[in-house]
Parts: sequence; C-alpha cells; structure tokens
Amino acid sequence: MENSWDQSCGFEEIPHTADVALRVWGQDLKELFVNAARGLAWLTADPASICPEKEKSLDLSAPDAETLLVTWLGELIYLNEREGLVFTEFDLEEVMPMHLRGVVRGGRPKETRHLIKAATFSGLSIRPTERGLETTVTFDV
Amino acid sequence: MVEKKDFRRLDKAVWELPKEARPDMRVPARIFASAEMLDAAFRDRTAEQLVNTATLPGVLKYTMAMPDFHEGYGFPIGGVAAMDAKTGVISPGGVGYDINCGVRLMASHLEKEEVMPHLRDLTNALYRACPSGVGESGRIRVSSRELDELIVEGSRWALKRGLAREEDLAHTEEEGTLPGADPSKVSARARERGGDQIGSLGAGNHFLEIDVVEEIFDPEVAKAFGLQENQIVVQIHCGSRGFGHQICDDYVKSLQSSVRKYGISIPDRELVCAPIDSPEGRAYYGAMACAVNYAFVNRQVLAMGVREAFRDVLQGKVRNYDLYQVYDVAHNIAKFEEHEIDGKQVQVCVHRKGATRAFGPGRPEVPEAYRDVGQPVLVPGSMGTASYVLVGTKKAMELSFGSTCHGAGRVMSRAQALKKIWGPDLKQELEERGLVIRAGSTKGLAEEAPVAYKDVSQVVEVVQSAGLARKVARLRPLAVIKG
Repeated sequence: MENSWDQSCGFEEIPHTADVALRVWGQDLKELFVNAARGLAWLTADPASICPEKEKSLDLSAPDAETLLVTWLGELIYLNEREGLVFTEFDLEEVMPMHLRGVVRGGRPKETRHLIKAATFSGLSIRPTERGLETTVTFDV
Repeated sequence: MVEKKDFRRLDKAVWELPKEARPDMRVPARIFASAEMLDAAFRDRTAEQLVNTATLPGVLKYTMAMPDFHEGYGFPIGGVAAMDAKTGVISPGGVGYDINCGVRLMASHLEKEEVMPHLRDLTNALYRACPSGVGESGRIRVSSRELDELIVEGSRWALKRGLAREEDLAHTEEEGTLPGADPSKVSARARERGGDQIGSLGAGNHFLEIDVVEEIFDPEVAKAFGLQENQIVVQIHCGSRGFGHQICDDYVKSLQSSVRKYGISIPDRELVCAPIDSPEGRAYYGAMACAVNYAFVNRQVLAMGVREAFRDVLQGKVRNYDLYQVYDVAHNIAKFEEHEIDGKQVQVCVHRKGATRAFGPGRPEVPEAYRDVGQPVLVPGSMGTASYVLVGTKKAMELSFGSTCHGAGRVMSRAQALKKIWGPDLKQELEERGLVIRAGSTKGLAEEAPVAYKDVSQVVEVVQSAGLARKVARLRPLAVIKG
C-alpha cells in the first residue's frame, strides 16, 4: 500500500510476515501518539474518505509510556469494532508517560482495509532519536 | 542474534539450537522443517521469537516451531512450549489474541456430483447463514447472564439451547468445554464485545469452505473418521472474535506488572507471564478458558447455520442433506495435560500458538470413536489450494507434547501480497478454476492469496517425515466464503 494520506504522516509500514507493523516517529510523546493513531487509521481504511463528524473524549492512564501507547491504540480499535468509527483528527491536551487526555474525531469509512484486532507489545520500545522519539508497533490482524 | 549455523540437524526434518546458544535460554529450541524451509525462520523474527520462548521460567524439555512457522508477536506462529504446571508460567503471548481460533470439519453423506448442480445456491445460502466480515454481528445474541453460562459451559450450553447435538460435543476437543473458566476474571469490555458476535466468522484468514475429499492416504483411519473419496465436506475456521481479543489485550497489559512482581526477566514485553500457581496466573487461565469456550460455541452455532443452509437448498433434491461432525480442533490455546518426560508422568501447561494437538492412539482425551487410531488433525491450506486431514501419533507424544502444525503458514506480508496480487484478478482466476468465491472484500482476498503462503503439501510432508502426524486425506475446495 502506498502511503498517500500525507507524505509527512510520521509513520511508515514495515514488513511483517503475517500481521502489520508500523514505524512511528514524532518530536515528542504527543506527536508520537498522534502519528501512531494516524497510522492506525491508515491501516484500517482510506482516511481521505472519512468525514470526522463523531467526537469522543478520552482520558487514559497506564503505568508507563509503552503501555499507555498500547492502551491508546486499543481504545481506538475498540471504538472501531463497536461503532465502526475510524479516527482521523486528534486534539490531545495532555500526553504524559502515564496519562493521556484529549478529544478524537472520526467517521465511518466506506470500505475497510484491515480488521485490526489489537495493538501488541511485540518489540515495542519508545526510543529517543535525533528527531525526537521513535517506536515500532505491531498490530494483530 | 541467532543464526542458522547455530542450529544442528538432529533428524531429516528436526533442527535444534542448544540452550548454550544464548545465556538466557533455559532449554534448547527446535524447528521442524525441511532444509529448504529452514531459511525462512531467519528471514523474519521466527527464530528469535522461538528462542525467546525458551527463556520462560518452568519451560520443559525444549520449545518448538512447527513447519508452518512464521513471525508472530511474543511466540512465533507454530510455536509450542510446555511449562511445568507447578513451577512454570502461563503467558497470554503464547496463546495469542484470537484465543481458540480453530477448525471444524463436518462431513456430508453426499458425493461431489450430487452437490455440484446446487453449489452456487449452497454457497449463497452459507454466505447468508454465516455472517462474516469486520465487526459483523453473529447469528445469536445473548444476555449478560446467558453469556456467563455460555463461557463456563461451552458446547454444553449450545446443547441445552438446541444448537448442538450430543455427537457434536463428543467430536470436539475437550468436548467443547475447557474446565476452569472463571467469568469473574473477564472484563466488562470483553463481555460487551462478545455479547453480539456469537455465530460469526470475522475477517482476516477466517473462512468457510465446501470441499471434496480428493484423495485418501490411509483407508483404515479415514473410515474411522467417516471420510471417503469424492465425499463433500465443510470446514469452518474462526475463533473467539472480539471477546478473545479483549481478554488477551486486558491480560497482556495487566501482567506487565506481574513480571516485575515475580522477578521474571523477559526478552519481549509481549511474552509477559505469571506463575501458573499465582493469583495473576489463575486469573488469566480462568479468563482464557472463557474465551476457549466462547470459540467452541461460535463454531458450533456456525455449524448449525451450515446444516440449515444445506437443508434449505438440498431438501427434496438429494437423498440425505445432513452433516455429521468429524472433529473440531483448537490452534491457539494453553491447556493442562499429562506428558511423559524422562520416564515420569508430569502435569504440564502446553501453550500452542498456531499449533494443533495431535494426540496418538490410546489417550483418554481422544474421542472414543477415534481412540484406537488417534485424533483427527485438521490442517487447512491457503485459499483455493488444498487442506489435509491428519491423524495424531504416538511419536508426537514423545517429540512434541502431542502437537503438530495448524496450516500452511505465511511467507509473504499482506502488503507484499497486495502489491503482487490484484483482488478482482485473483477472484476471476479462482472462479475460472471452478471455485465459487464469496468474499466481503477483494483486498482481503488478495491478502490471502495462495502465493502468500507456504505450500501446505510440503508442510504436511515435513510433519509426516518427523512423525508428528500421518496423512489421512486431502481435501480440495469447491467453494470459499471469506470475511
């Protein structure tokens, strides 16, 4: 799949034999989390086809940044399965290593690319880089 | 980094990495593969993930990758590891998100020629009767109270509700009810996701197929399984849907703190675990068993849908449209079993992730009807190719804790498959070969193209050569329904 949503999305798909995986980067934790969520949206459907008419407020906690990232993505996956929503806009007020609060907006896509079952911890580690932070996320499909 | 040269060949299809190869290994790691297949374990993270499983506390004998192996998360797919039930750990990453994903084989009394004139109608009826696709609701909905009963009782609940026959239960692994299910360990969110998905296939590699028995390799065992050449059979491949995904998700997160609490060092956070004999370990097992039972009911409800579709289309047109159950096997599960290790009977917790139980003759867990020959093992191939029915062996009991492969195993990522294959072209090609295809999405079809998988026949040859199971019959698909 070509990443046609935006050339500066902050994520790219990397090879995985059976599931799907993304390399995600950002200047800080907030941007990393947003880019991971954008990557999830891109894996799930064509983001350009989505009208972000539904809004959800999220307030999530976890014992560390990696668990918070899995929890954040897991929340979006859950809302996709239950309400068919794919989220493309993210207003995060606060992203601390153990707490996230903000609003997400999304809509129902016409066609789904992947049924994402879960975001996993496989090889998950948020690393500092020259441009900020980077991680890989493997999704079970 | 583990390399191919570190593995030594023990037998034609058995390769072992000694435990000295990495300081954190507690036992050796074995790969069952032909020389040609082995390379694939080093092209992705299969070998590394297999070695990681050999570091878990209480792991016994050696950990294994079956020949349909490929990279997973935590355990590799095709991974098998047995832990000492007293001193070992249990790991949600050793079971996976789709808990008790499995396969059910139902056999008809009909020959191919009797069904072919009605194949298209039958496929359409099955497509209607068995909901498939992303987030699709199932054939039945249950209240919260009913869900509690269902996840404890498994197929017995379906029997009470008139959704199963006694003989279906007799021909299901664990008779469709894994003991030890504890609904109090299941989150509200898992219940919410599970309440309306019972009797649905889902998407991904899940499918429903009408097949013909193309070749019999072992007539005596095939007769015991009720299979004969040219017979029409049906395969159902699915699991515990959002219910199981949520349980795995919940426990992979909550057990992150358990590894710290119990001082367990793990090389990958997806391998989180807890001592089997601990509050956390018991909680995961209790919740996982609920998902196992949910998946047995899911396939059972779909099986009744298949029977209804056969009745609706074939009543009055053929002599007998009924279907009987050959067997139902789990391939993502952790179970307590007794195995012989160094001459002693030991209670172990076997993790099978993308692997199938393959118990040989004489084991009490094998249904009475099959006990003299061994249990049926169902190995679906990639879409449009072939599937196999195997039989468990005594050698598998010695070599692999009674385990074998579960399918063909991917060799190509979904993204690569989409680059190479155009879904509508593949659909047309398969239809030109006489297959009837009903799929929710042509992209999904392309991702599951045969080229993305190993050749299931080669996988089965390795299994047979290593003695992990024996060939009984080969099935050829006539119609495929995919989510």
